Amino acid sequence: MRVTQGMLSNNMLRNLSNSYDSLGKYMDQLSTGKKINRPSDDPVVAMKGMNYRTQVTEIEQYQRNTSEVHNWMDNSDSALDQATQALQRLRELAVQGSNGTYEDGQRENIAQEVDQLRDHLADIANTKVNGKYIFNGTKTDTPPVVDGEVQEGGGDVVVEVASGTKLKANIDAGEVFSSDLFDDIQAFSDALRSDIPDEELDANIASLDNHIDNVVNERADLGARMNRLDLIEDRLSSQEVTANKMMSDNEDIDLEKVIMKLTTQESVHRAALSAGSRIIQPTLTDFLR
Amino acid sequence: MSSTFNGLEVARRALTTQQSALYTTGHNIANANTEGYTRQRVNFEQTGPYPPASRNRPEIPGQVGSGVQAGSIERVRDQFLDKQYRSENAKLGYYDSKASAMEQMQSIMNEPTEQGLSKTMDRFWQSLQDLATNKDEGSRAVAVQRGTAVAETFNYVSDSLNSERSNLQEEMNVTKKEINSLVRQINNLNKQIGDIEPHGLVPNDLYDERDRCIDKLSGLVNINVSYESSGGQPSAIAQGKATITLADGQGKDTDTTLIDASSGEYKHMEIGLDDEQNVEQFNFTTIDKDGNETSTDSIAAADFSSQGKMKALMESNGYIDGGEAVGEYPDMLEELNFLARNLAAALNEVHSQGIDANGDPGQEFFVIDDTDNAAASITVSEAIKEDSDLIAVSANGDSGNGENALAMAEAMRKKGVGDLGQNSSIQTYYEGIIGEMAVVAQEAERMQGNATVLRDQVDENRQSVSAVSLDEEMTNMIKFQHAYNAAARNMTTVDEMLDRIINNMGLVGR
Repeated sequence: MRVTQGMLSNNMLRNLSNSYDSLGKYMDQLSTGKKINRPSDDPVVAMKGMNYRTQVTEIEQYQRNTSEVHNWMDNSDSALDQATQALQRLRELAVQGSNGTYEDGQRENIAQEVDQLRDHLADIANTKVNGKYIFNGTKTDTPPVVDGEVQEGGGDVVVEVASGTKLKANIDAGEVFSSDLFDDIQAFSDALRSDIPDEELDANIASLDNHIDNVVNERADLGARMNRLDLIEDRLSSQEVTANKMMSDNEDIDLEKVIMKLTTQESVHRAALSAGSRIIQPTLTDFLR
Repeated sequence: MSSTFNGLEVARRALTTQQSALYTTGHNIANANTEGYTRQRVNFEQTGPYPPASRNRPEIPGQVGSGVQAGSIERVRDQFLDKQYRSENAKLGYYDSKASAMEQMQSIMNEPTEQGLSKTMDRFWQSLQDLATNKDEGSRAVAVQRGTAVAETFNYVSDSLNSERSNLQEEMNVTKKEINSLVRQINNLNKQIGDIEPHGLVPNDLYDERDRCIDKLSGLVNINVSYESSGGQPSAIAQGKATITLADGQGKDTDTTLIDASSGEYKHMEIGLDDEQNVEQFNFTTIDKDGNETSTDSIAAADFSSQGKMKALMESNGYIDGGEAVGEYPDMLEELNFLARNLAAALNEVHSQGIDANGDPGQEFFVIDDTDNAAASITVSEAIKEDSDLIAVSANGDSGNGENALAMAEAMRKKGVGDLGQNSSIQTYYEGIIGEMAVVAQEAERMQGNATVLRDQVDENRQSVSAVSLDEEMTNMIKFQHAYNAAARNMTTVDEMLDRIINNMGLVGR
């Protein structure tokens, strides 16, 4: 093949420009940390990248949702704890009252304490967290107990904590803070103020036990759900790591590899330049006198 | 017996011929860096020997040579390589233009990034999830803003695609003008060449100029070139006038003859766009040799098969095929419209089943004014933008119920929503659109690379034949210089010989 100066310099120029192209590509990769800059660099990586991003976003969101559920559950639990204490105290009072050792004036004192505890339980039922009544189901904007009257509650408050998994965040307040509860306490207080014999106050112990059981049952159910939430949280945090790792594996560069490639390309580029300077320069003219 | 002064004549012929070769060498060196220049070569020819065969020829042994003449000056060029180059150049023009249009599209779509439509939709999904757990003013305002961001991203992408389309139309216009100008130039060159060739001359530099123009034209549309004689007494190496026809995808001639060498007619191209700025047809107006427009032929855009920059621009911008607009940009816009319509319909349907903060059923969340341009006209309803209480978060009206917001979030992830198909959610459908675009772009870039390599390869072969090698020219220069010097020496010898006869003969004993 006949080779001319023009061909040599054109080829050299083209090869140098290809070399610059590669250098540029590696520079882009190093400075962005990503394998691809446009979808066409690798359509599969690009599509997967979009998918992984969505996954990571979803997991972050679900983590945010779980902390919301935690908030509900923790507050419900501590409120129920207080309710239990109040009910225990009521039971103590019922036991004391039924002993038959108190005088009328003392029974009146107990009745007053019972009334206070009743109001206290109503306050607990009306617990507000972040401006929401947590013991009224989905009717979070209205108090469950108004003037000692228990209102009809809303449905379950559910929060999505993982794709397709919805967890109930509230407790069934109707079971704990029922109108029966307030009626029974009222009846107890009325009984204390009435002149029925002390022994007949016994009946209140049983009804209070019943209510304590209700609270305990509800707390057990809540505890079980809290356990489940913990499991879901664990799963989400391991999913987060996996999803981020997959995203990174998919689109992030292997730094060492790219630096190696860049260094290699740099050497090639230097060689091309120095070879060019030797080949392009001399012609026959340089050797003819 | 040959003439007394025969030797002088032979030497003179040698001097002038070597001189013309030296001048041609000079011309080559001078044009070593001229684009499209073809190196020229003087074809040396021996002149007729003496004596010629005739009845009264003198009785001398053999025929004595009478020297040399410059027979013709020829371009060293391989027309077969030209043909290869032009067909590869057409492909390169096509894929170059397609790759750059796709690159533009990719930067408009801007995926996968933290700013693209995909991320915006993710954020909207997030705000719906937040809304489901927290129904306060803040979460509502955020959901409205994120929804607006989705709508605005649709608008922005659609607008950008449309403005890029008008750039493509502008480029088509410029390309059309370039084609017309090149066709006119080639036709003029044909005319000049046709005026010179009948006299037996070979207009090498005009050929170069014409080849340059044809090379350029071949990048814009694929063409076939054939030559026909100019008539008169042309030299055997005269190339003739060029007829140029549009070639189809297989490189075969089509009915459209851009330049007709025999009649001197040429065609001007016009682009026929419809109301949506899609290419409907190409009109070719024939202009006769007196410059009068005679007739106009049309080629439907779908039948325009001549690969090259023009076709790539047409396909990117969009053209009418079977009554429908097809092409990369219209397809992408149509996909986005489809997605926007389905997104709006799916969310509106769920939204209408919920109850807003005022206890009323949900209104439309997304509003689309113009269904055909859904992506460009999608917005969040003005009423909801003004009053975020109108978002129907609740399924039953309870303030703590976020099930409807959850259902809206789910609608963005659920498969088989609207007309998207059984296996596509809004998210995966959009991923599919981007994937498809990426594959088309990758293909265009790959083919661009291939076509570049092939064209450069052919160009190198062509350079190998036609380019000026300075070493070669230097060698030739020395060769011709030596021959010139030797011829001059020969002339001196003959001169001395004659001097001997004329001035020194017959002087014996003086």
